[in-house]
Amino acid sequence: MTSPFDNMSERLTRNLARFSSRRGFLSKLGVALLAAPVFPLLPVARSARAAEPKSAGLKTDFERNSQTTDDTKCNYWKYCGSDGVLCSCCGGGHHTCPPGAEPSPISWIGTCVNPEDGKAFVIAYRDCCGKPMCGAGKSCWCDNSDRELPTYRSSLNNDIIWCFGNASATYHCSTAALVGEAK
Amino acid sequence: MFRVFVLALTGLPALLRAETIEALTPRANYLLNCGGCHGLNGVSNSRFVPNLKDQVGFFLNLPEGRSYVVRLPNVAFSMTTDEALTGLMNYVVFTLGGAKVPKDAKPYTVREVSELRRIPLTEVSLVQMRQRMVRILIDQYHATSDLSLYGEGDYGTSQ
Repeated sequence: MTSPFDNMSERLTRNLARFSSRRGFLSKLGVALLAAPVFPLLPVARSARAAEPKSAGLKTDFERNSQTTDDTKCNYWKYCGSDGVLCSCCGGGHHTCPPGAEPSPISWIGTCVNPEDGKAFVIAYRDCCGKPMCGAGKSCWCDNSDRELPTYRSSLNNDIIWCFGNASATYHCSTAALVGEAK
Repeated sequence: MFRVFVLALTGLPALLRAETIEALTPRANYLLNCGGCHGLNGVSNSRFVPNLKDQVGFFLNLPEGRSYVVRLPNVAFSMTTDEALTGLMNYVVFTLGGAKVPKDAKPYTVREVSELRRIPLTEVSLVQMRQRMVRILIDQYHATSDLSLYGEGDYGTSQ
């Protein structure tokens, strides 16, 4: 003897089998699968993503602690790839050499994110050369490494002294000049 | 099935566009991959690093020169996609080197760059190869003598 519940579910299953085709289901599933990646790309979703900072969710340790006010500190935002003693502690600025030191025409270039607007900017890491190394205090010695690469990719490495193109290759201090927005 | 196919086609351009939304401009790619040594506008220490500004366009007078600039190891092995490198090289040759590019020179295509970067110049003396072309460019194509600054004398001396 079958229960009313069994009868009902049997009727339902048989009706489902009678009025739906397997191919119809497969084609609808196919449509859903293909359509899914398209929806996040609708204008609303895209503009929302464009408004996000480039590195949202992928912040480096440096970017979590960077600031925009004091360029004599290693966590000043433009120093995200700086390795050396800051020229701003040595009578120069974050983009100018101290008197008597000469900026190298050759540098390595990376990007740093401004924490105020979340935008990435192109930064040229130029060393100042031609004078003995600046004797600033310990807090002016930085070793940041955002977007820097190992020595075997030397054109983007910050351990080497960037005083190639100068009359004197003696390292004095490091600057980080803003070149423009990275876009 | 046809409906599925049509939907796949209409979705495709959106996917391709999405890929390029975050892409950098050729200028930004130039700065990040070349500008440190070649200078923000293609001029640096001319004896240490070849000038690009109003110079690099001369090389397109020679078929060998057109391929040379892409086959240079730092170009061929740069951390760029074929598409980004093509935009970058067209920026370098036609914008930075624009004043000297031959009138009938065509922009690099992605296919051309993709093929050239797979045969990098790794088994030659790059300086000698360049000097040989520079001599021809000065003798036959009115290139200025600045073109031969690179590769002469010692490295590291100021301009």
